[in-house]
Amino acid sequence: MFSESERTRVGDALDALVPGAAAMGAVDYVERLLTALDHDPPRIWAGPDEGKPWLALGPWERQAWASRIDQLRAVYRRVIDGAPEPGDEQILHTHACEACYGDPAYGGNRDGAGWGRIAFPDPLFPPARS
Amino acid sequence: MSEADCDVVIVGSGPGGGTVAEVLTAAGKSVIVLEKGRNHLLSLDPPYEPLRHFSNDEIAQTRRHLLGPDPLLEPRTYRRSPADGKRLLVGEVNNLPSTVGGGGVHADAKLPRFREEDFRLRSERGPVEGASVEDWPVQYDDLEPHYAAVEQAFGVAGEDGPAGNPFAAGRRAPFPMPPGPDMPMAVVSSAAAERVGLHPYRAPTGANSVTYDSRPACVDCGFCGGYGCPIHAKGDPIASLQRALRSGRCDLRPEALVTEIVLDGGGRRATGVRYLDLRGYPDPPVVELRAAEAVVVAGGAFETPRLLLRCGLGGDLVGRFLTYHFQTFTIGVFPEPTGGERGRSVTHLHDDFMIDSPAMREAAREAGLPWLRGGVVEHGAGPGPIGEAMNYPTGEGHLRSMTDSALRRRLWVFTMQGEDLPQEGNRVDLDPDVRDAWGLPAGRVTYAPHRHELAASEYASPIHEAVMTEAGAELAFSATLPEPVSRHVMGTARMGADPRTSVVSPEQRLWDVDNVLVCDSSVFVTSAGYNPTLTLAALARRAATLLSS
Repeated sequence: MFSESERTRVGDALDALVPGAAAMGAVDYVERLLTALDHDPPRIWAGPDEGKPWLALGPWERQAWASRIDQLRAVYRRVIDGAPEPGDEQILHTHACEACYGDPAYGGNRDGAGWGRIAFPDPLFPPARS
Repeated sequence: MSEADCDVVIVGSGPGGGTVAEVLTAAGKSVIVLEKGRNHLLSLDPPYEPLRHFSNDEIAQTRRHLLGPDPLLEPRTYRRSPADGKRLLVGEVNNLPSTVGGGGVHADAKLPRFREEDFRLRSERGPVEGASVEDWPVQYDDLEPHYAAVEQAFGVAGEDGPAGNPFAAGRRAPFPMPPGPDMPMAVVSSAAAERVGLHPYRAPTGANSVTYDSRPACVDCGFCGGYGCPIHAKGDPIASLQRALRSGRCDLRPEALVTEIVLDGGGRRATGVRYLDLRGYPDPPVVELRAAEAVVVAGGAFETPRLLLRCGLGGDLVGRFLTYHFQTFTIGVFPEPTGGERGRSVTHLHDDFMIDSPAMREAAREAGLPWLRGGVVEHGAGPGPIGEAMNYPTGEGHLRSMTDSALRRRLWVFTMQGEDLPQEGNRVDLDPDVRDAWGLPAGRVTYAPHRHELAASEYASPIHEAVMTEAGAELAFSATLPEPVSRHVMGTARMGADPRTSVVSPEQRLWDVDNVLVCDSSVFVTSAGYNPTLTLAALARRAATLLSS
């Protein structure tokens, strides 16, 4: 959803908070989150295996996530425009941490690099990583 | 009542509701279990096998509300006292999962029994100024057979006899299973605790140490506390729900938000409930169910009073005497990794600060209190890597902090589940303005700890810091949580023998509508200092047994 220049700006902002985040796929993580509802099932909750790679949301959960994603899109628009508001940095910090140290199923932690650099063992029961 | 849909409607599918469903269906009753959350636990078609939605996924389960509730749909509010105004915050307040299985899904399944003294605290220890310390109308001996039964139902692994907890209440049968493998660092911290004069023991845990009840043994994946179990080695509450469903007399309906308990014309008897079928969007249909015998409310100590208050049931004390466990964390930072990534989050406990002693009497006297009680202390591992990362500063220091990992990889923690004394002003009520997604008033917490909790925390902390140092920590410090984020929520529909001072009878029936029962931790008279699930389930089993007879 981001242009190349926008990806660079977002990556720089994430890297400033968690160095190396962009190289580990943090921009991909953010893009997947912001476009999660474009898929069916939405790419909010990774499923348990390749046969069920994403879990379905209920209609009310979908409403909540649509609202949340709208707000997040506005945050990233402000970041790209160079006009962040108070609180935006905390959201980017959260996303950078999730992208670096969450499961690779969500687009970040590329090849487990985030876990590798902190010696975190690969889970015994990871979600589907399609 | 030939037109009834079932004998009993059960509101909530957690350890309380699941236990009631199992007992009643075994006794031949028909039940409908209504759960407002979604179902990630088990198929609703025979043979009711696990859905296996859970994996080792910190994002889905701790960041993205897989287990619910989503605070955008179900906000809660909090303030310390009315002096704060209507509220201090809107969002997540003591959120237990809102999903089929309720709070049993996310817990790391520490399932200790309460001790005899915990049910007669007023008699044993005496009153405390500013608190409402009372005896329970049910005593340990009344509950013992029910404790044993729910230990069997959930599958509790533990150790009794000389190697077990020296302070444990008496039990007439052994644990269903031996304890599982020790976490290596818990062996170290337990040995250090013994050298300091404490009495650690292997935690009674509802995670299989062997194949049990057709469920596999835990393999110590390390994603236990806060997570649904990928292989259902945790038995609470899937085992009870499966047995209820397999009886053919249980209908489990997720996404069913009960809005009202329906009464007969006289207003003294419940005839059923109305609920919103949340599968409908944006206008969920209202469904009415008629129950021939009773309505059991088991929504947990936050949602149960919220429902009763909306319905005007239970009297003026509904929501009052809210208690948590006042959690004190003593953190040890060790020179080497503690190995907390694997294991069942917590494998060892000690109870010493629940036990009366000259030293605690002296500490109480210095604090101007008649006595002190702390709580069970869990020897446990640190957070997952995302949770850790959020604690560190941003920028250049981040990677150094993460690789140094003082707050995860080299961390070990004692968590004291401190007894929280009941106070009438601590309560759940209905927020005057904030509404959930369906227009219902949000629940509001008003809570501030009693000085007893603070004094007990201050007493235990230096002792635990000494244990950490004895275990080899290079740094030890203690902290408490400033806001009520504890998931142990109790006491908002208090049981008692006197309708003037309680909400439910010793049989857990509302005094004003006696075919409405409360079967969750709302009924606790005092919070004790032990994880509440086994006790609420034992109480639920007792109440359901009385109801079915």
